[in-house]
Amino acid sequence: MTTSTEGTSVSDTPPESRLGRFAWNCRHHPKRELWFAWWVMVVFYQLYGVLFFFVTRVQPPPSPAWDTPMIVQWFDDRHDGLLVGFGIVFLISGMCAPMNALLAYSMRRMSVSRIFAYSYLIMYSLSAIPGMLVMAIAMTVGALRPDRDPELIHWLYDFAFLSFSGTMGVFLVGSVVWLVAILLDKNNVFPKWFAYLGLCNALTEVVVAPAWIFQRGAFAWNGAIAWWINMVVFVTYTAVFIVLLRRMIEREDFGTGPLPDLPDKRESASAGSVGVLR
Amino acid sequence: MRRTDGELIMLWALPAIAIIWVSAFVLFPGFLHPMSPTMSAEEVASFYRDETARIRYSMILFNWFGVGLIPTVILLAMQVRRMAHRTPIMSYCLIACAGGPPTLFLIANMFWLLGGFRPERAPELTQLLNDLAWVTFTVLVPYLIAQCLLLALAIYWDRQDKPVFPTWVAHFNLLIAIALVPAAFGALALNGPFAWDGVLSFWVKNIAIAVWIVVMGVVLGQTIRRRRAETAVAA
Repeated sequence: MTTSTEGTSVSDTPPESRLGRFAWNCRHHPKRELWFAWWVMVVFYQLYGVLFFFVTRVQPPPSPAWDTPMIVQWFDDRHDGLLVGFGIVFLISGMCAPMNALLAYSMRRMSVSRIFAYSYLIMYSLSAIPGMLVMAIAMTVGALRPDRDPELIHWLYDFAFLSFSGTMGVFLVGSVVWLVAILLDKNNVFPKWFAYLGLCNALTEVVVAPAWIFQRGAFAWNGAIAWWINMVVFVTYTAVFIVLLRRMIEREDFGTGPLPDLPDKRESASAGSVGVLR
Repeated sequence: MRRTDGELIMLWALPAIAIIWVSAFVLFPGFLHPMSPTMSAEEVASFYRDETARIRYSMILFNWFGVGLIPTVILLAMQVRRMAHRTPIMSYCLIACAGGPPTLFLIANMFWLLGGFRPERAPELTQLLNDLAWVTFTVLVPYLIAQCLLLALAIYWDRQDKPVFPTWVAHFNLLIAIALVPAAFGALALNGPFAWDGVLSFWVKNIAIAVWIVVMGVVLGQTIRRRRAETAVAA
């Protein structure tokens, strides 16, 4: 997992020391934009996990069936964690931009219309607001005044968890856009089986719909289906595409035809001077 | 060759819209002396009852023109496309950021307007709407921060004889990004510089956004004019 790949022939060659080579890669590596976006994505998902599970402790989600005093107690227990954790969320959620840009780029590299890349880019850029930031805002307002009328805190609790779990369409249609592009692609950017994993991810957004209806059971927002199975699929899907995107970057030759395979250490002739714009 | 017809209209719309933003900012009774988060529910409710008209008119203005920043960010994205990069990723990044701040601002705007719609509502409810509005407005920085950092990075990577933007624009964007950081933590305190009416979360943040708009507007204007002069000579 390093940004140092062979086959770069920029005017000055990378220095010997590790730090020097890292600095050189950051400035001159022909794939610096791709690697930058990939690393932002990796760091974002790590932070996302830490912030939602350990700092704010809003995941795994509590029950929608709780009564008001329990919910007020839940907010009291997490007061500082919610305010600090979601403060960090507000600070870093712009990291979604390079991540979505990289995913859009993967579609641009395919043999499909630009429509796919731009649709995905706009859909997933939009998704962070109802799917994450609205929850963060509702939780922050809930924690802001512990002495607020408990009924209002209860409403903020519903608002937060339902906006988080119940934002479905952008992820549903977004996943479908990506998987259709993968199935149509003749450039072998992704293996076709990944499209079916994308379909599983899209289906999680279908089965989460009853969370808007049920307050207990497998379909409630903390239930075995609406949360646990969905989380397993989402984590698998994400882990897989992180690896596949990494492989895509390694294979990238900046051409328009099929992506070359990795193993034989081809000297990619395309890694010419950085000053050339396509 | 990319088509550039209409580019100047988009550019010159910015100062016109900026004048409307400043007017709406001054018109809203809760901005010049920003409303304190320590106001009681009763005080907040009476504020909405007493100032209903100015709240409505200023927020309607903001609702009309809040999205006016998007063309500017897209103009920047188009300039980034001309940079000496191997991929369109950096311009995709700016496009991905463009819609975020106006959308979050519109959510805050709706809560303010809702508060002003039935000011006779129970004070606790008006206070809730006011909290939602102020928190959303204060923490709407993530995409702005990302936008500044990504633009700076794009400029640093634009290594060619005649870079699209001068390097100081990158440094300037880093500075603005830093100035926006404290506002992300605006809900942590009800008093002091981090509170939503505080020096850092309100004044530094909003002045930084205003300065960014003015400076980037001028930089874009110069870049586009130079570009058009070069194209005219070439043609």
